[in-house]
Amino acid sequence: MFGEGLLKGMSITLKRFVGPKIAEGYPEVKPYLPPRTRSSMALEPEKCIACGLCVIACPNQVINLSSEKDENNKKILMTYYMNMGRCLLCGLCTEACPTKALKLSQEFENAVYQREELLWDMIARSKQSNKSSGKVG
Amino acid sequence: MDAFNNLFVNIAAAIRGLFADSHSLGADLTINIIVFILLFLIMVVAALFLSLVERKFAHWVSQRPGPNRLGPHGWFQFIADAVKMLGKEDITPANVDKFLFKMAPMILVGVTLMAFGVLPFGKGMVAINLDLGIVYFLAVSSISTLALLMAGWASNNKYSLLGGLRAVAQMISYEIPLLFSLLGVVMITQTFNLSSIVEAQKSVPFIFLQPLAFVIYLIAGIAETNRAPFDQVQGEQEIVAGPFTEYSGLRWGLFMLAEYGNVVATSVIAVSMFLGGWYGPEFLPGWLWFILKIWLVIFLMMWVRWTFVRMRIDHLMHFAWKILLPLSLVNIFLTGMGIYVYDQLILRIGG
Amino acid sequence: MTIEGTQEYSINMGPQHPSTHGVFRMVVHLDGEVVTKVEPKIGYLHRGLEKMAESRTYTQFIPYTDRLDYLAGPHNSLGYVQAVEKLMDLEVPERAEYLRVIFAELGRIASHLVMIASGSLDICGWTPWSYCFRDRERILDLFEMTAGNRMTPNYFRIGGVSHDVPDEFMPALKSFLDDMPENMEEYLGIFFGNEIAQSRMKSVGILPKELAENLLITGANLRASGVQYDIRKAEPYGIYDRFDFNIPVLYGCDTYDRHLLRLLEIQESIKILRQALRDIPEGPVMAKVPKVIKPPIGKVYHRVENPKGEMGWYIVSNGTTKPARVRIRTGAFVNVQMLSAIIAGWKIQDLVTIFASMDLVLGEVDK
Repeated sequence: MFGEGLLKGMSITLKRFVGPKIAEGYPEVKPYLPPRTRSSMALEPEKCIACGLCVIACPNQVINLSSEKDENNKKILMTYYMNMGRCLLCGLCTEACPTKALKLSQEFENAVYQREELLWDMIARSKQSNKSSGKVG
Repeated sequence: MDAFNNLFVNIAAAIRGLFADSHSLGADLTINIIVFILLFLIMVVAALFLSLVERKFAHWVSQRPGPNRLGPHGWFQFIADAVKMLGKEDITPANVDKFLFKMAPMILVGVTLMAFGVLPFGKGMVAINLDLGIVYFLAVSSISTLALLMAGWASNNKYSLLGGLRAVAQMISYEIPLLFSLLGVVMITQTFNLSSIVEAQKSVPFIFLQPLAFVIYLIAGIAETNRAPFDQVQGEQEIVAGPFTEYSGLRWGLFMLAEYGNVVATSVIAVSMFLGGWYGPEFLPGWLWFILKIWLVIFLMMWVRWTFVRMRIDHLMHFAWKILLPLSLVNIFLTGMGIYVYDQLILRIGG
Repeated sequence: MTIEGTQEYSINMGPQHPSTHGVFRMVVHLDGEVVTKVEPKIGYLHRGLEKMAESRTYTQFIPYTDRLDYLAGPHNSLGYVQAVEKLMDLEVPERAEYLRVIFAELGRIASHLVMIASGSLDICGWTPWSYCFRDRERILDLFEMTAGNRMTPNYFRIGGVSHDVPDEFMPALKSFLDDMPENMEEYLGIFFGNEIAQSRMKSVGILPKELAENLLITGANLRASGVQYDIRKAEPYGIYDRFDFNIPVLYGCDTYDRHLLRLLEIQESIKILRQALRDIPEGPVMAKVPKVIKPPIGKVYHRVENPKGEMGWYIVSNGTTKPARVRIRTGAFVNVQMLSAIIAGWKIQDLVTIFASMDLVLGEVDK
């Protein structure tokens, strides 16, 4: 009969209307993020050997680091900056790192108010990582 | 239970008793002013609350909880909406026709308020007991077409002009089936007075006598208030809110107030003329039954809105002129024949 | 045809409009409600991807390919990595091929779900939109579980995929495939079966078969006009010749058929996914490629069947680590000309419906 499709549509809507709600109640309920989620970057400066492979691997020239040689002629990391405003969060730098010092972390609440705050000092951030929300690695 | 039924009538009588002559000009004026303020408050609260109910309904259909921050489960959201709307900047674009631009929302709200005057909210609870009730209602609500055209023309915007012209075409076409579907009920009760029509449904509501007219009235009513599936006036995917595009802040709020006020008025007429008004089983007072029945009709209108898609403008006109109008004429014909048969045969047999 | 005393006028449906899918501008010439001419103006999302490719290495360009057709995330890189592997004559391991097929078909389903959702949103059907996006969330969860990002996973590499799927991937994929038939019944009931939606979409925006072939329209738009042409069957790439699936074809040439065809393609993709899930072998996921990728001097052209149409990759290599020229032939860019070819005589509301059925994504149109 004419109108049958309309009534079927209305029955579907009514069934969903009285059914359960599946939306996530953020921010009271934090989302479950899988371990491989790429939300931000974290560095463990003790493991870094300042080889510079991550700088070469990055498509967008996000990373710049500086190092100096100590008495054993080994390189020590001095500064490590990442310009997160240009980062694509592609993960090519973490794949290139030979000691797994650079890792992806799951902190996703990274919004800031000024553009200058997007230039992250990774060594300073690694000292505060215990008290912020996400896990490292 | 009788006390509850006549609660508001008794309050009005008590206020009249405060004056020396309970039917003097002063008493009448006081009662009328109080009723006017009450009607305005009903319209404002209904509009705010209905917009929240609409959002909640839409979200529950999509399996989401809806606004749930303010108040218990979010039911105080309309306070925040009202405060936000009052605080917005009132932008009048440069080359608009200033007089018409500012008059359009006021006319729309005024017309809706005028139409609220004859609605019977309970036994003896009607603002103005006009003998011409339903005719007055239909005549006054036709003026809202003009207000939409004014808004569309004065906005100096091609999208608004398109929306205003569509509004004229749509609302004029759907008033005729609206009128004719109500004519069947008037033929049965022989009066235009809304309170008398409700009282004539004491034994059986007219929806059982006039099912076709109820469906036609509901469809035409949804078209008159510009809701989906008939909301090309505010296309939003094609013409970006039509006549309402250039309005901001409280002026837009007035448009929304008028739209939801029209929704309430349409469902009140549906309840009064087809669903039995304030009659119902005795365990609840009459005006509470009335409110429950209005909720039922509004639920039906929202259910239709969030399920169906929009019709194209020429399908809509085709539907009004070539399908709804002949059906309503058929309904009048059948009603006439039914009255004739009832008069001649049944009354004669009954003696 | 204007009546005596009236004139045509033009409206600018500009880059910011509720129903143009992205930043797309159209200048519409109208006579009352009837459209006489449409001039599309593109370029608002141009990012210079082809020029950027000349200053990045082959592996560094892969995250950028995900941003072309951002609704079908991993599918764009499929064509690119296969083109470079053709140039370098690389053999990809079996498990990597099956994983590539799984992710490409998941991207196809996600893209078609968004197309059906926005097709219904443009005629004010808010509920089917939310149902389609609810199901797309499960696909995005699968991407996030494996590769890290939801819409731009950056998962394929030259020689295979970057790493293996975790343990919870296969059960999640299986439960998604089991829930889909019931969800598609729901879309049919609430959108395709609705008489009002049918009256909006049937016999609207007819694209005749000869015109489609002359304008080089590809993808689902072509198959809804009666031409049975799909690159996965015409020139199979990867391991698509091992799967048993049909190419759905409809003959109505109208908007309703274009929408319905994408629903049928979702069904065929589910068939492919079930077969891949059944047949996937164990093994390595990355071939033995040198650390620094330097293809020999040469040119290659490789085509794949993107959800939006045919996607062609033309890569010119001059022996260094960075390509000399990358040219991307995208389906959506060529499909834009369909709009001005078939629009004359329809109304504004039909313009919105026809535009939604063309399934454009501005990332592909503007690159």
